[in-house]
Amino acid sequence: MKSRSSELRRARPLLGTIVEIGARGPGASAGIEAAFREVETIHQLMSFHEIDSDVSCLNRAPLLTPLAVDPRTYEVLTWAQRISALSEGAFDVTVGAELVAAGFLPEPANSEYPFPEANFRDLSLLPDNRVLLKRRAWIDLGGIAKGYAVDRAVMMLKQFGVVSGTVNAGGDLFVFGAAQPVHIRHPEEPGLKFPLGKILNSAVASSSGCFSAREKIHAVNDPLIDPRRNRRVNWRFSVTVIAACCIVADALTKVVRLAIRQAPRILSQFGARALIIDRRGLRIFPANENDTMSSSLETAARVVNTETRASIPHQAVTGL
Amino acid sequence: MQKSRWIWLPLAQVPIALFAPASYGATYLTLEQAQQAIFPGEKLSQSFINLTNQQVQEIERRSDTNVRRKQIQLWKSTNGGFFIVDEVVGKHEYITYAVGLNSDGTVKQIEIMTYRESYGYEVRNADWRAQFVGKSASAPLKLDKDIKNISGATLSCRHITDGVKRILATYEVALK
Repeated sequence: MKSRSSELRRARPLLGTIVEIGARGPGASAGIEAAFREVETIHQLMSFHEIDSDVSCLNRAPLLTPLAVDPRTYEVLTWAQRISALSEGAFDVTVGAELVAAGFLPEPANSEYPFPEANFRDLSLLPDNRVLLKRRAWIDLGGIAKGYAVDRAVMMLKQFGVVSGTVNAGGDLFVFGAAQPVHIRHPEEPGLKFPLGKILNSAVASSSGCFSAREKIHAVNDPLIDPRRNRRVNWRFSVTVIAACCIVADALTKVVRLAIRQAPRILSQFGARALIIDRRGLRIFPANENDTMSSSLETAARVVNTETRASIPHQAVTGL
Repeated sequence: MQKSRWIWLPLAQVPIALFAPASYGATYLTLEQAQQAIFPGEKLSQSFINLTNQQVQEIERRSDTNVRRKQIQLWKSTNGGFFIVDEVVGKHEYITYAVGLNSDGTVKQIEIMTYRESYGYEVRNADWRAQFVGKSASAPLKLDKDIKNISGATLSCRHITDGVKRILATYEVALK
């Protein structure tokens, strides 16, 4: 349908969520179709559930035997490994076993049970899009593939001559060509939307425990695993990361949630910014040079931090 | 050092206007556009059907979902395909979507036609706002009309998945 400024917007249920694509320009219609098809392909390649996906093949492939995967899967694994190394394992795609144990993922067919201490270091990336596992681990790309799908969809839109557009995969999004306002859902009160300001040529991804695979019971509704302790975390706050591409934004939301103290260093390396919303307030990083967040918020934050730093309990300021 | 730390803002100090309470909605496709998107160039003829009680029971048994409406908004394509408009209701979302089935009953394409979120009651309720906004409860809530892109709190498409399951069972029971 043509809406304001004749932007074409379509939405389809994909990647376990609703994927919305908006585009302006002569190639909008064909571009949107191609972008949805690409998202579908990425789903098929990287799904833990699909028996023929690269991920499932890897999860049951013989150990120490190179397995050729799609270049796109290889690219996602490369990013994942880089972020795992930087975060010293706070981000780790070998968390499949814990997610299966917690009931968020089904047990893969024809695969032996993973080695309990297996981690990202057991996954080797070889030349020519080949990968191998040194110890049995179950790979799950749930924490990164959605962001990648958004990046790929944007690439397809651009290839079809789309001048400006947005791709939003259930909250992980990218805006290009023309600035658009982006809001963040409040983690506990989804009716409230927090205006992030206008976003342009950047990705925004959020992660929160409230609307994930499991609904209703907060205590068990968050499929985020802390790989260093092999434990599920239950955090009722949302983390939003703004970055140059969505795969990074998506993965870094998990790094912020699991390694809040190291997060600023890692965010800085990617030139990314983060915002945390919880019951008590907001946390923002970095504190300045923050052109996309609402300037009023930034001013308010600066004033409050200057005036009340002394009175805020130490823990509230620096961590959890 | 200063650069590597989080800047903190307590919620009570956040101007409440920054939180836009407006509900979000989007229209993606009209009926005709959805038909053209799924069956481009084909002529579709309307043939709504009403399910019998027996069919409803059978569909519910096969799909493990509830049949809310006995009337199926159905169109048939010249090539033997089916076009069905259906609606699913979540806790806060209303989604109208179209499913195209091939003549053999497999899913050809799914398109969301409209999506609407509603949190109206809570947002209008002053007590509800007060518990949330703390000290700045007196600040007016701003109705933000420019909500287009929402990040955060990934919505599940489980209701649509269940809806499609119900439609496939409907095909088996009533359309085949």
